[in-house]
Amino acid sequence: MKRKIFLQLLLPVAGLGVLFLLLAFSPNQNAARPALLEMSVILRESDPAVLRTTRQGMEQAAADLNVELRVLISEQSQGAEEQAALLRGELERGAGAILLWPSDRAALARSVAEAAERAVVVTVETDMTDLGADGSVTLDNEAVGKALGNAALNGVGPEGTVLLLDAVPGDNGVTRRRKAAEEVLRAEGRKVISCRPGEGETVEEALKRVLDREEAGVVLAFEAASLERAAELARTGRGFPLLYGAGSTSSIAAALEQGYITAIAAKNEFTVGYLAVETAAGLARKETVERKTILPFLLIRQESMYEPEHQKLLFPVTK
Amino acid sequence: MGTYIEALTKRWQSRYRRSSIQVILSLSFTGVAVVGMVLMGLALFLRFSSAVNDQRAESSQRVLAQVNLNLDSYLRSMMRVSDAVYYQIIKDTDLAEDDLTDRLDLLYEGNREMITSIAVFSESGKRISSVPLSTLKDSVAPEREEWFCKAMEQIENLHFSTPHVQNLFTDPDYQYHWVVSLSRQVELTRKGSIESGVLLVDMSFGGIERICRDVSPDGEQGYLYLIDDQGEIIYHPRQQLIYAGLLEENNLEAARYTDGSHRETFQGQRRQITVKTVGYTGWKLIGVAPMRNLWNSYGQMILFFLMIVLFSVLLLVWVDLRLSEWITAPVKRLDRAVKELEAGRERVEFSIQGPYEVEHLSHSIQSMVSTMRHLMEDIIQQEEQKRRSELEVLQSQINPHFLYNTLDSVVWMTENGRTEDAVTMLTALARFFRISLSRGNGMIPIADELEHARHYLTIQKMRYKNQFSAEIRAEEGVESLYTIKLIVQPILENAIYHGMAYADGEGIISIRAFREGEDVILEVTDNGPGMPEEVVERLLDPGGPPAAQGAKGSGIGFRNVHQRVRLTFGPAYGLTILSEPDDGTRVRIRIPALDEEGAKRHQKEEKP
Repeated sequence: MKRKIFLQLLLPVAGLGVLFLLLAFSPNQNAARPALLEMSVILRESDPAVLRTTRQGMEQAAADLNVELRVLISEQSQGAEEQAALLRGELERGAGAILLWPSDRAALARSVAEAAERAVVVTVETDMTDLGADGSVTLDNEAVGKALGNAALNGVGPEGTVLLLDAVPGDNGVTRRRKAAEEVLRAEGRKVISCRPGEGETVEEALKRVLDREEAGVVLAFEAASLERAAELARTGRGFPLLYGAGSTSSIAAALEQGYITAIAAKNEFTVGYLAVETAAGLARKETVERKTILPFLLIRQESMYEPEHQKLLFPVTK
Repeated sequence: MGTYIEALTKRWQSRYRRSSIQVILSLSFTGVAVVGMVLMGLALFLRFSSAVNDQRAESSQRVLAQVNLNLDSYLRSMMRVSDAVYYQIIKDTDLAEDDLTDRLDLLYEGNREMITSIAVFSESGKRISSVPLSTLKDSVAPEREEWFCKAMEQIENLHFSTPHVQNLFTDPDYQYHWVVSLSRQVELTRKGSIESGVLLVDMSFGGIERICRDVSPDGEQGYLYLIDDQGEIIYHPRQQLIYAGLLEENNLEAARYTDGSHRETFQGQRRQITVKTVGYTGWKLIGVAPMRNLWNSYGQMILFFLMIVLFSVLLLVWVDLRLSEWITAPVKRLDRAVKELEAGRERVEFSIQGPYEVEHLSHSIQSMVSTMRHLMEDIIQQEEQKRRSELEVLQSQINPHFLYNTLDSVVWMTENGRTEDAVTMLTALARFFRISLSRGNGMIPIADELEHARHYLTIQKMRYKNQFSAEIRAEEGVESLYTIKLIVQPILENAIYHGMAYADGEGIISIRAFREGEDVILEVTDNGPGMPEEVVERLLDPGGPPAAQGAKGSGIGFRNVHQRVRLTFGPAYGLTILSEPDDGTRVRIRIPALDEEGAKRHQKEEKP
């Protein structure tokens, strides 16, 4: 009987205690955020305006996912060695995840593979998952190149010359776009010439140099920075060839609207930044995420740039 | 199913029968109380949760009403700007003589935080004046813009557009602003004549954002967004994510909701939606509160109710236990008393204080026990009486025969002139009877018992003409001890009749009294013919057949003495006969060694 009484009293008291603890120390669902994740971002591009929208997307994702971003920009725009050094440095600092805009797949392959063993490495613009990276957020670079090549076919006759701006040398996504465009153009019988800025030479100077020597009907730029520069050159002089390119900034949008650029292949830059951080954070936290994301792109011309969907893509809502 | 219920009933009945009253009482009380508490708690919970829901809905509506008030105020200020441009600037200006720009610029500077641009267009879409930018893009045809068309179609109204990128003017910094355009048809004066035109006020997105941001209908993870009457999002806290396709909102469905509270499931998430239409514009403020947040609060509430119910149950259990213990305590005391009685305890207290029924029961049991005890005492007394009667009967069997034979011998001696012998015999007889009577005492000193035996032997030796001799010896100190009277004489009688009568030569009878531990042995030995073993066994058997008819002494004397000793002192005492044919007989009487005090105690027990 004593045992029964004991149980009759003990069980409700124990239950009461548990309820009290639940009430007093119930975990706040709102506060159930993941632990802070330190993420390093190694950019290839030194012009911050070009990646402004992308960085907005990264910052939004960082705020949503409790990630602290540390953005590093290589002093030399195309310095694979410098990127490798930055990768090592961030690993030594104990970064949990790294976002990388690779300048050269081949040159960075070993560094990325080593880094991926110690941290999550997600590449943007250029896919390096086959070389050890944990994830990637890219466009279908070949498709972008082909789309630009096909667009350029309308701007230059069968015997015409197309100048391909080779501003980002090395094995990367930009180069793949260029090669894909070149294949399309050559297949259609266009003459293709390349323009690569020399040591200490700007894109404008290189373009001038080549255009003074060769007559081209179309200029193709395959990333936002060189497209901006080419558009600036187009503003300054008459008789500049038709300009096509990949990337979208407010400057590019203005040039498109003003007719200095004929068409652009644009992706949502905000989405790129957001998904890159989201993928890296998800992988670092062992969540189920898509390791390889291929983003869609749109070919936008002056006449279609204010269509509602194109507006949303070209002009981020700035508050 | 039936079998299961039957088994369950049996099990319940079995458990019921094995349970104490206190357990049954406390379980019944607790069960009823718990059911009551749970039902009451449930009713309270449902009532309370319903009230909380209503309160939340009201709270959301209040929040939205406040935001609506602010937004309405903001839109009205925009409309006032538009009115000011129209009624104070345009109406007062003849375009042929004057320019609007300076005055527009003044108004713009005063409201530049809220306004992106102010522009006036002619009916054909030609720019008349605009601030802060003045160069219209070549690619733009204002007369084809939606805001222009609406203003010209419904001239009496002010029109708010959906958010769009302001693309009218050339900006040297390549800035593209998201704006909401407020347009209206205006009457322009040129050279005194009136012509139609359109006034455009582009509201900056930030003005709306300032009003709507950080507003949560539930104070937690909820948020608020603004849509136009077609469901197009005007403001959303995560608008860029939606535009980027990374997030979806149920804005098109929400456009169909009427003002008030609604519930919806969107992308697997249950949400409480509060809708408030912004006057004049037809825009809708949508407050979103995820139901998960509500359920978080409900969870806390459920825990709180559970805690109250459990606490009440705990108190009830405790009270029930104490109450049932208090109620059943008298019954338990009664039960204990009965158990003590069953265990054989003589003095058991039955005066139990408690309710009427229990007191009545305890009195009845007490009365019953008392009656039972009296009956038992009566039975014991009757048994004792019976035993004493039996004893007296046995004692009375000794004398008549011997008296007859002795008196017969005295007569015979007197007739033959043996007066002296007759006197001796009569004297011995008189003393023999005096000791036999012993003033009615059943216990006499062993000395008296041996004296009694001596007188008996004196008489018998005279009757048997000295055919045997006898000697009596007593160990020192033994004669002062006590014995029940007349136990040696029947043994002597048997020795004489069965021993000396058939003895070859002179018969010898020896009587000896001595201590053996805490006992006294009175031993009678003769050198008669002895007895076979079966005869010896038969002599002490109370149910055995008497000795052969016609023989003097039938063994009754042995049995008589044996039973008297055992009746008086218990089964450990009595006679032992050792006899072999032709080897005489030795009879031992074992009695306890009693001094005078012990003898008196025995005497008292025998005379209650």
